[in-house]
Amino acid sequence: MLTTALLVFLGFCAGLLGALTGIGGGVLLTPILALHFGVPIRQAIGTSLVAVITTSAASSSVHLQRHTTDIRLGMTLELATALGAAVMAYLVGYFNRNALEGLFAAFLLYSAIMILSRGGKVKDEDESSPGINGEVAIPPYEPKRYPLGLGASLVAGALSGLLGIGGGPIKVPVMFIFMGVPLMVATATSNFMIGVTAAASAMVYYRRGDILVHIAAPLAVGVFVGSLLGARLTPRIHTKIIVYLLVAVMFYLAGHLGLHLLRELL
Amino acid sequence: MSQLREPAFDRAVALVLRTGAFGCFFIMLAGLIDSFFMNGRIPADIERAGVLLMLATPVVRVIVACFLFFREKDYRYGWTSLGVLVILLLGAVFGIGEH
Repeated sequence: MLTTALLVFLGFCAGLLGALTGIGGGVLLTPILALHFGVPIRQAIGTSLVAVITTSAASSSVHLQRHTTDIRLGMTLELATALGAAVMAYLVGYFNRNALEGLFAAFLLYSAIMILSRGGKVKDEDESSPGINGEVAIPPYEPKRYPLGLGASLVAGALSGLLGIGGGPIKVPVMFIFMGVPLMVATATSNFMIGVTAAASAMVYYRRGDILVHIAAPLAVGVFVGSLLGARLTPRIHTKIIVYLLVAVMFYLAGHLGLHLLRELL
Repeated sequence: MSQLREPAFDRAVALVLRTGAFGCFFIMLAGLIDSFFMNGRIPADIERAGVLLMLATPVVRVIVACFLFFREKDYRYGWTSLGVLVILLLGAVFGIGEH
C-alpha cells in the first residue's frame, strides 16, 4: 500500500517535470524503478512505456486541438518508428540485464551532458506562441528529405524500444532542421508519434510479461495528473532551475546504475 | 499538401486519444482504490484492463485515421496508415522472445 502511494507520487513528479521541462518521464522512471523498487531493468523499461503512452495521449490531444500536428507527416514517419521500436523490443528479449543497465547508464550520462552543453535548454524555443483563442499562424511549408527523416525515425524508434523512452530529442531537430517543418509543428508531431512508437514496443514487452500492471497502473495515474497540471503551469514557471535539478538527478541515477553494474560484474 | 488544415480530422483523432487517456485513468484509479480495500484478483484484473486500454489507444487512433483517409480518397496516406497498423499488429502477434 505504501509502495502504491509512492508509485503514484513518483508518476506525478515525472509527469509534472516532463510537462514543465520536456525531459520525458521514461528517462527517469526506468532507472528509479530499477534501482529503488527492485524491478529488473527489462520490466522497468516495459512498465515505464505505459507511462510514456499515457503522457503522449494526454498531451497530443491538446496539440491536435490547436491544429499544430501534421498527421500526414506523423503517420509517414511512424512507419519507421513503429518498425524500429517493434524490432528492437523483440531483440531486447535476448539482451542480458547488465548490458541493458550499462546502455541505460550511458544514455542518461549522454543526455545530461547534452543538456548541460546547451546551457540548460531542453526544448528549442517556439518561434511563434499560441494566440489567445489557441489558434496559431503556421507558415506554409512542405516537408522535404523524407529518406533522411525516415532513417532518423527508425533510429528514434529503435531507441524507444530499447530504453523505453519517447525519442523526442531526435525527432524534433530532424523534422525542424532537415525536413523544413516549423518547430511548433515538429514538437506537436513528435509528441503525436510517441504514442504509436511506444505502443509498438510495449505490445512486445507485454506479450513477454515485461509489463508489471500493479506498478504500471499507479504510475500511469500519477503521470496523467502530473502532466495535465504541468501543462497548465508551463507558462508561469521559470524552468531553468528545475532542468539543472533534473540533470543532477540524471547524473546520480547514471552513477548509481554504473555502481550497481560494477558490483554485478566484480 | 501537408499544411492542409482539417479541423474535423484533428478533432476526431484528438477525441480518440482523450477518450483513451481519461478512460484509462479512471479504470486504473478504480483498480487502485480497490487495491487499498481488498487484495487479490479483482483489483489486478481492473489494472490489467487499464493497461490494455492504454496499449490499444494508439492502435485505435491509427485505425480511425486510416478510415478517415480512405473516406477522403487520400489513398496514399490511407495505405500509409494501414502499413503502420500492420506493423503494430505484427508486434502484438509475434511478441515472443521468452527467457
